[in-house]
Amino acid sequence: MPLDRQDEPSDAQLVASSLAQDQEAFGQLIDRHAAAIVNLGYRMVGNRAEAEDLAQETFLAAYKALSTFRADSKFSTWLYRIAANKCKDWLRVKRPGEGQYDLDADESLDLYVTEDRTPELLLSQQQVAEELERAIQRLPPLYREAFLLKHVEGLSYEEMEEILGINGDTLKMRVYKGRVQLSRELAALNQMR
Amino acid sequence: MNEHDLVIQRFLDHELSPEERTAFLQAVDANSDLRRRWLNLEMVAVEAAQLPKIVPSAQFLSRLKAQVIPAPPSLLARLCAAVTAHRTLEWNFAGAMAAACVAVVAVAGLLSLKPERIVEVPVTVTPAQTASFGAPSDPKVFVRLILVQPNAQSVSVAGDFNGWNPAQTKLDRTDGGVWTVTIPLKPGRYEYMFVVNGKQWIADPLAAEDAGDGFGSQNAVLDVAI
Repeated sequence: MPLDRQDEPSDAQLVASSLAQDQEAFGQLIDRHAAAIVNLGYRMVGNRAEAEDLAQETFLAAYKALSTFRADSKFSTWLYRIAANKCKDWLRVKRPGEGQYDLDADESLDLYVTEDRTPELLLSQQQVAEELERAIQRLPPLYREAFLLKHVEGLSYEEMEEILGINGDTLKMRVYKGRVQLSRELAALNQMR
Repeated sequence: MNEHDLVIQRFLDHELSPEERTAFLQAVDANSDLRRRWLNLEMVAVEAAQLPKIVPSAQFLSRLKAQVIPAPPSLLARLCAAVTAHRTLEWNFAGAMAAACVAVVAVAGLLSLKPERIVEVPVTVTPAQTASFGAPSDPKVFVRLILVQPNAQSVSVAGDFNGWNPAQTKLDRTDGGVWTVTIPLKPGRYEYMFVVNGKQWIADPLAAEDAGDGFGSQNAVLDVAI
């Protein structure tokens, strides 16, 4: 998320202006946050066109519910929460199996994490990025969501707790399991080459 | 999660104290298995942070704004809104006939000159001139309601005088999109609203007085006196 700059109105000021029927103010909020929302959607659903549709739904929902936004929360956090819910709704409808993923069933994956070779020794930077993109798409949605917010969007666990409404220990475990599975997949890829 | 996994996780999440980090790095140096596990996970975290970001195009942002934010009313729309604002007049028969003649001649003249435009003619509203009809104990005043709505398919009025039933009192369309109705009312105070196309309730922004309806909207108020 872009940081507020001193010479520009803060998100809170833009929200207040939007509520006062200043339509240009909400346009500025879109300019600031659209990229983050599109990127989150893209990596959650794996399709840019769908991600842009989800971003549109997110901003539309935010605009309609703007009067319910509480100033004690960051606008970006609030927006992420709406976007994350839109993504999960999309996954439930378009990929029904993914929405019901049993987290406990993946505990056994931890036992097979160790690999003989480090992936970066064999894959080029670009190959790693491409394979990582694909591997992220194969993560269970809840791991994917937590991993993306932590390592792609660079949020803190405190912010993630606020966005997802889940306690920090659970989030840390999901992030860790996401890392483990991604690491295992990249290592396995090397073994096949 | 074993002890190694836990310390790797805490290292990646920047939760180790400086002393713990030093101890961890020393352990990594001495333990190849721990080093391999850490590097695999560290690489995932580092690569994830460097994944290319989509930059939304200007076209997408414009489309997004257009779809999310309602367009501000254009100058033409604001002009139409001003022109189509409705007026309420009260008059007696003599005054009505005279005013009607003047209005018809004026409107017809203006329309013949500029038929493609709607011209709002300022009308000076004088104190209500009324006439009594019927028995002295049951006097009534004829009140004419006027609403300019060129695009409306139907206009009716609902108020205290008709039990808030818009189907009971419909306005007639005349030239220029002017809708009118004349209704006899006993002296008193009435609240009312226009109903356009059977569904759009319009309060009278130019009414001399308005009152809250208890639901967050305003009704126009009409005081009828002899």
